[in-house]
Order: sequence, then C-alpha cells, then structure tokens
Amino acid sequence: MADSTMINVPVINTGIIIGSILVILIAYTVIRIVSFALVWISEKAGQYRMTVKMVLPVLKFSIYGLALLYILNNIMKFTSEQLTLFGGLLGAGIGFGLKDLFADVIGGIIITLEKPIQVGDKMRIGNDYGEVTDIGIRATKIVTPDDNLVSVPNYLIFTQSVASANAGNPEMMILIDIFIDHESDAVLAMNILKEALITSKYVYVSKKRPFTILVKDYPYYRRLRAKAYVNDLRYEFEFESEVTRRTMAEFSKNGISAPTVNVINEHS
Amino acid sequence: MNTNTTNPEIPEIPELIGFKDEITSIKAAIDSFEAGQTKNIAIIAEPFGGRTALVNEIQRLYPQKLTTVSFSSTVKNAKEIIPLDQKKRIMILDHCECLYMRKIDGFRILDEFLKSIISSNNMFITTWNIYSWNYLDAVLNISKFFSVLIQPPKLSPTELKECFLSRYDENEIKFVEDAAFQREKLISFQSYPVVIQHLKNPINIPSLKVNYDDLRAIFAKKEEKVSAQDMIFKKIHRISNGNPGVAKALWKKSLEYPTIKPSWVKDLSLSIDLDYNESFILAIILSVDMIKDSELSEIAGPDFKMDNILFRLMQQELITVNESFCSIRPEALRSIVDFLKKLRLVW
Repeated sequence: MADSTMINVPVINTGIIIGSILVILIAYTVIRIVSFALVWISEKAGQYRMTVKMVLPVLKFSIYGLALLYILNNIMKFTSEQLTLFGGLLGAGIGFGLKDLFADVIGGIIITLEKPIQVGDKMRIGNDYGEVTDIGIRATKIVTPDDNLVSVPNYLIFTQSVASANAGNPEMMILIDIFIDHESDAVLAMNILKEALITSKYVYVSKKRPFTILVKDYPYYRRLRAKAYVNDLRYEFEFESEVTRRTMAEFSKNGISAPTVNVINEHS
Repeated sequence: MNTNTTNPEIPEIPELIGFKDEITSIKAAIDSFEAGQTKNIAIIAEPFGGRTALVNEIQRLYPQKLTTVSFSSTVKNAKEIIPLDQKKRIMILDHCECLYMRKIDGFRILDEFLKSIISSNNMFITTWNIYSWNYLDAVLNISKFFSVLIQPPKLSPTELKECFLSRYDENEIKFVEDAAFQREKLISFQSYPVVIQHLKNPINIPSLKVNYDDLRAIFAKKEEKVSAQDMIFKKIHRISNGNPGVAKALWKKSLEYPTIKPSWVKDLSLSIDLDYNESFILAIILSVDMIKDSELSEIAGPDFKMDNILFRLMQQELITVNESFCSIRPEALRSIVDFLKKLRLVW
C-alpha cells in the first residue's frame, strides 16, 4: 500500500520528453521570428529604433516563461506537491552548481525590468565597450568597435558598474579633444572647432541636447574639448573623425599649430 | 539676388486663400512699428508652403512702405542685404535660408545680418525654410532676434478647391466619377516596395492602408454622398498634407484638361534608397529650397562625388537640376521629409 505522506514522483516518459522539447523548440522559433521581425521593423523606424528594440527582451522572457509554465502544467501535469518537490530539487541544483546560471537568469530579468541597458545602447561593463545587440536569458551580447561579439554574463550587473552611453536614445554625447600650442589663437581655434561641430553631417542639436566648446591650459599645450551629440550612436567614430579632420584642415589654413613635441635629451 | 521679384519655383496662391490670420498678425506688427515699437517677423514654412505668396500680398498691401529683396542663391556679399531704398523702413527679405552655408565660415553673412537687425532702426519681415530655421535655431538660437514668428497654415480641402478652381471658369473643369474609383475601401492592402541591398528589384511587402477620411465620417455618423469633386480635393489634401505647392503639382499631374477623375490622383509616396552622404546632400537641398551644384560641392567638401550623388537623387525622382540649380520635386516632398526625419538629418 502506498504511503499517503509520500509524493508521487511524476513518470517522465518519452512522450513527455518529446512534448517538452517540442514546446521549447516552438518557443525558440517564435522568439527567432519575433526578434527578426522586430529588428527589421526597428531598422525601418529610424529615430524610434531603440523604442522598438526595447520590447525584445521582455517578449523573450515572457515567451520562455510561458513555455516553461505550459510544460509544467499541461505536459508534465505537476500537482502542487510535485511542484514543491521540483522547487526543492531546483534549489539543490542551484546550490550544487547551477547558481551561476540562475544568477544569469535573474540578472536577465532585472535588466529587462529595470532597463539599466537596452538593446541598441552603447554600454561599458568592465573592460568591454560596444553596442548591445541582444539581451538573452543567460548573457548580454555586445559588438565592440572592432566587430568582436562579446557575451557578458547577466549576473555581472550585480557585481560591476554598468555604463550606458545613451540610455535608450539614438543620440549620444561625444567628446572630441584637439590640442594646439600656446602661440596659436585659442579664440579663433574655438570658433573653428565650433563651426566644424555644428556643420557636421552627423551632429544633432536641440534645446535638450546642446553643444559646448571648452578650453583648458596645460604646461605644454592647450586642449580644446568639444561636447556634442551624434544623431545616431552608430556614427560615433565617424562623427569624431569628421569633425577632427575638418577642424585640423581649417587650423592649417589659419596658422593654428599642433603642440610641438618636447623631447628631453637624456644625454644632456 | 532679385528685387521685387518672386521665385518662379514657388507657386502663388490666388487672392491668398487661407492666410487671413497671418496677414492680420503682420499688419499688427507693422502698425506697432509705425507707433514706435519694432517687431521683426520670421515667416517659417516648408518648401512650397506659400511664404513668397504671403510676402507678395504684404508688399501689395503696403507698396509705399516696403522694400522686398528675394534671394535665389546663397548670398556671398553682405551688401546684398542692405536696403536699396533708404526711405522705406520696412524690409522684406524672402528666402533668408540663402544667408548661410552649412560649412566652416559659412555663417558670416548671417551673423552680419543678425548684427544689423540689432543695430538698425528698420523693421525686417523675413521668410525662412522651416528646416533651415530649425537648424539655425538649434545651433545659433536665431529665434531670439524675431519677436513675431508666423507659420503659414496647411490649407484645408475647401481652401484648396477654392484656390485651384478660381483659375478656371465655372464648370470649365469636368469632375468625373469613375467606376474604378467609386469609393476607397475603409481598409485595403497595398504593396509597399522595400529595397534590399544586393537585390536588383524591390520586394513588395503587403501593408494595410486605412481610409481615414471615410473612417472619420463614419465615426462622426456622417453618411453623405461625396461628390467626385469633393473626393478629389480631399485626396489631394491628404496626399499633399495641405501644402499648396505640392497640391498644385498633384493637381497638374492628375488633370487631363478639362477632365479629372478621383482615380487619376495618385499617391506620391516614394521608396527612397540612399546612402548617408546622398541623404545629407538631399537634406541640404531640402533646407534651402534651391542651391547651385557648385555650392553643394563647397558644403560637402572633397570627399563627396557630387555628380554621382546628384545623378542618384535625380534617378530616384527626388530633385530636379535646372541650369545647375538643384531643388526638390514638390511631388517628392512628403517622402523626402519622412525619410530625412528618420535619419535625423532634418529636425
């Protein structure tokens, strides 16, 4: 006679395994299709690109969550006691070795809900910097400026500071430093840098996104610093390069020189 | 520079239909000026939006008091903006977007003009392309120099009808209901061409098209029989977004004198496929209404292959080049603005 205090362990047969795999496959396929469609739509949406992409991680977690619920409820047909047992086993599993994976999943959920970063953002975490291309269940993928795909485990958001350069907006502030010698006319140089900045094909200026030109004196040179927003963060480096190139060309026409290199003769 | 002339590319609106409020505001500013208080005016509108027609009307109302200067290309010499007739203390400067070039050292003339506004005892009525204005206001904050800002309104279907039909005799134009176009469906599918790189032909993606005019009528419970004439002007209004110049181009394109049918008024949306540099040049042309190709080269610098870019823009039916002057095609205005706003090349 069966002991009434014992919990029946569900029989996992081939049908259940195949059914579960099928549900996971369907969930995966749906996510791939939805991701493809949303990315396509977002690329057509121009300035609203980030807003459309914001939905992606939420959808991903929801679809996987629903798939898991469906497997537990409809395929395995767990009773509440069996669910408790499953929870206990999962807890033990987390204790023994799945804790990193679990932390990644929780990290992913927190990223999705709290949005410290979003798909499309430029982020820095640890030594890595790049555009967020995907926020997954386990890891966040970023593409670095030299086109490396870096997978950052989601749990790192608990232990490291995360910097988002644009916080969900398509525009992003760029700092451009240009150095001149002390003999050159700093006011003229600032004016040239300002005009190179505001006439750039990549610049974005509004009342909320102003630009600034600053000068700072150092012992061997003067540093001109331009702060302005690029209209699309994907042109971050092109913007910096274009403004620098046009400014330097204009400096050359106006007799504004780069700082001279002070070489210390070690034999003297 | 032209004096007391109008830009031939900008259409005139007979008897200036739909601009009553704007004319009242300008008259009030002129009255204030005569009472001793200077209020400089900036009239800001889209290309083909009726700026020149508005200033012509003001000139007609005050022929003895106003001097008009209409710029047709980039101003290179500050003397061009000095009033020719010193006795007339109210100056109209049409197409002020010609006072700057988007390049290093391209704001000198505009700076001098703004200085002269501060130091002068004259009143200035200026007209600006809205995209140039938005750009200049963001980077130079020019709106602080003008106490009256006027944006000509979009014309309603009735105003467009009044405007176009006033050029013809009564019943001269035959509005014909065609079987192919009894009434647009509320919701229908239409093909939206999408250009994909490396593919020769665009892919047609089916998309939903909603007939907002009829939908609004249903919600307002207006079950009325719409005549072919009303249907045509509603459609022209919807496609042109109330821009008189675009509506005029659409009217010309659809009319097979003396007959016009609703189905002949075709939607003007274009599928634009341009790279970033081409889009930037298109944004410059849009922002200044009309510009010489040599000036575009000056703005773009040596990196741009201007002949190739202009060829691409013409190939896609976005611009026209007439005696080296580039301007956008009125029919393409809506598509161009939507495309450039998405890229954030116009604000």
